[in-house]
Amino acid sequence: MRFQRIIQIPLFIVFVLLILLASHPVPEYLEVDVFLRLDPLISLGSMAATRAFIPKAALALLVLLCALLLGRIFCGYICPMGATIDFADKLLLRKKPEENSPERDGAYRHFKYLFLAGLAGSAVLGISWVFFFSPLSLATRFFSLVVQPVIMLFGNFLLDAARPLLIHVGLDHLAMVHWAMPRYNTNMFVAFFVFGILSFGLIRPRFWCRNLCPAGAIVALFSMRPFFRRTVSDQCSRCGRCARECPMGAISESFTLTSYSECVACLRCREICPEKAISFKWSGNPDSAKAAVNLSRRKILKAGAVGMAGAAVTMTGLKHLHGGEEPRPLKSSNLIRPPGALPEVEFQARCVRCGECSKACPTNTLQPVWLVAGISGLFSPCVTPRIGGCEQECNLCGRVCPTGAIRPIDIQEKIFAKIGTARIIKSRCIAWEQDRKCLICDEICPYNAITSRLAADHPVTVPVIDEKRCNGCGYCENKCPVEGESAIVVESAGEIRLSKGSYRKEAERLGLIFHSEAGQEDHVFEDPQKTLPPGFEESR
Amino acid sequence: MEIKKMSRREFLVKSAQCAACAAAIASIPPIAGANEHAGVTPDLILANGSPGPAVKSAVEAIGGMNRFLKPGARVVIKPNMSFANPPEWATTTHPDVVAELTSMCVKAGASSVLVLDNPLRNIEMCLEKSGIRGACSAFDKAEAYGVKDRGFFQEVAIKEGKALNTTMIMKKVLEADLLIAAPVAKSHSSTGVSLSMKGMMGLVYDRRTFHMDMDLDTAIVDLCTVLKPALTIIDASRILSDSGPGGPGKVVALNKIIASTDFVAADALAVEIGTWYGKKFKAAQVKHIRMAHERGLGNMDISSLRIKEVNAG
Repeated sequence: MRFQRIIQIPLFIVFVLLILLASHPVPEYLEVDVFLRLDPLISLGSMAATRAFIPKAALALLVLLCALLLGRIFCGYICPMGATIDFADKLLLRKKPEENSPERDGAYRHFKYLFLAGLAGSAVLGISWVFFFSPLSLATRFFSLVVQPVIMLFGNFLLDAARPLLIHVGLDHLAMVHWAMPRYNTNMFVAFFVFGILSFGLIRPRFWCRNLCPAGAIVALFSMRPFFRRTVSDQCSRCGRCARECPMGAISESFTLTSYSECVACLRCREICPEKAISFKWSGNPDSAKAAVNLSRRKILKAGAVGMAGAAVTMTGLKHLHGGEEPRPLKSSNLIRPPGALPEVEFQARCVRCGECSKACPTNTLQPVWLVAGISGLFSPCVTPRIGGCEQECNLCGRVCPTGAIRPIDIQEKIFAKIGTARIIKSRCIAWEQDRKCLICDEICPYNAITSRLAADHPVTVPVIDEKRCNGCGYCENKCPVEGESAIVVESAGEIRLSKGSYRKEAERLGLIFHSEAGQEDHVFEDPQKTLPPGFEESR
Repeated sequence: MEIKKMSRREFLVKSAQCAACAAAIASIPPIAGANEHAGVTPDLILANGSPGPAVKSAVEAIGGMNRFLKPGARVVIKPNMSFANPPEWATTTHPDVVAELTSMCVKAGASSVLVLDNPLRNIEMCLEKSGIRGACSAFDKAEAYGVKDRGFFQEVAIKEGKALNTTMIMKKVLEADLLIAAPVAKSHSSTGVSLSMKGMMGLVYDRRTFHMDMDLDTAIVDLCTVLKPALTIIDASRILSDSGPGGPGKVVALNKIIASTDFVAADALAVEIGTWYGKKFKAAQVKHIRMAHERGLGNMDISSLRIKEVNAG
């Protein structure tokens, strides 16, 4: 196998495994978001948009350091999007393109720098579009939200079909397996977007990496003349095979010059050179670099201005930050952010929409949203109680977030990170409206925020919410037996969003009562009309 | 003459019913009324001590596990593991209870021990937090599963049902040779208490309809006409005295384990030894227990039953 594949394929497998492992329980020592943190666009983009140094995302600086020494090896060896594209190219491309050199295939190469400039322009206004272009965000989103559920669907088909056989051969444990298949909003769009990128492979190999990827552009800026680089000796017979075969089209028509900013050091040219004239070594010929693009300052500034204008337009949109930071009538009350999510402005700027939190969420409640939080909030995560509740003793979303958009708080803090407040829609509630005995919301509430009480003109006890105890976990909305829309819904009102500091202290300041310990006698059961607790009858 | 064909499902249910009847008949003591008479198996065992040893003493006092299973038997234990809470909350069965029962089943020659429930909360977190998966991990033949997918359930007709005429029950339970109910004793905001009979709802696919479409207590008793555990072990090592079934609420330590072949009697005893919302209650004050007694599923009249108290070493 080729040297590149020996590194690239195992790393890709590790990437996929880490996505699979991003589910409950994630062992403490495992950093499932490590690939995301290696993406220089995620790192620099999030830092620029939030104007803060994000230590967790600083790992990508190592990639840039490597680029100074070794060139774009991130693109050639590490990036899982690159690996996916290489694989798709193998399937799509029947013959090598005629025009493959920087001189002849140069029409779009500068686009990646323009995208980068545009992203920088919007970051000036604090708006991050990183999620649209970041290869790691795209790849993580694609594999976790699109590929994983499909595999599980087919896996369940197989398991169901093979069950009698499994029991017959004594694989009883396997016969009990049926995966709880997650479902994700926006998955079709994510699939189309990635298939779009892959189908560019019909035009050129690694079309995305050559022309469009702004993360590649950042690495390219650091790879203009790496220490370890392609060098051609006098033995070159000028057969031109290297230039035709180069997957990045980085070899000039002279065959000796190389566009290092385009070269991903895959070593293909060295492997196929019939004269063995090509080597990758320290400090080759000082004049061996060939500029790949001719980019004027004017174009960069224009692109930056376009990015800034785009950010300005989204900031003036009606749904920007889902209606505004402070309580406003336009706020989307059903947009509930995960526990520990930063205040909305910072949150949207930092969240790279990788989908890792949605993947890790054990109850599938975290869903990517469409436009409810504005265009800049596209794909950002939202607690969707009708699908599942937010588990009391789970903090995975914060632990797997690569940029800290959801803070990695411990369980004790998480219980105080109130995400919303439940509200009863009496007209839908079968106890309030139809006088039927139903106490499921009371039964399931992990925070004891709902009590069943007698109310005037109601023959059965009816649920009543104590807002001071409601954490917004959504289990009541999730389990409400009413068909379709729930009779008890969680709204974002009362959520605690802190960029720093303790949620516990804030909750105490607000007079909220959350507890996670048994043995506290604080059940609200004061009922002067009725002396019996719920469910017991008079003695006969 | 018209001969009615019997479906496989009906056959299975009938067989289960026959087996339950046979077990019930077998469990009728030869002499009634003689308290702790030598050689007579008592109706109820009340074992004092920490959960594991008390379970062991209780099962031994009621005749040992060999009374309930033959070598090669497939056992299902139904604990409560519906909530992702630690054992201290008393919302789930103590893992030591499950571990001891499993160990005794394995020693008695069970070919497999499945610990099954259809949890309300996330399966993985329930299995982990309750400690019940850990309790099973020491035994090769035992495994705990949260079962939610429809494919694992089978429709069962309830002939004696007054409200519930059909429901879907876990296939593994229908296939089992022995069903052991092992609930924790806890309060329940809708049914007063949640013990072995209420716990049977955890073996059903869709319990929403129990709440939505019928009288919950009637539906529980209906279900119990087809799901009768041959052995009931109630974990009253600590009880959730209020705020049940999910907690958090007041936990009262009793250090007791109840064992019986009559699940109505076991539930009744659990009601009467416990304190609920700071008060004492008679078993007849719990509607589903009273209805089960009236419909002949068991005996809730504690005073007429032989109760043997044992102390775990």
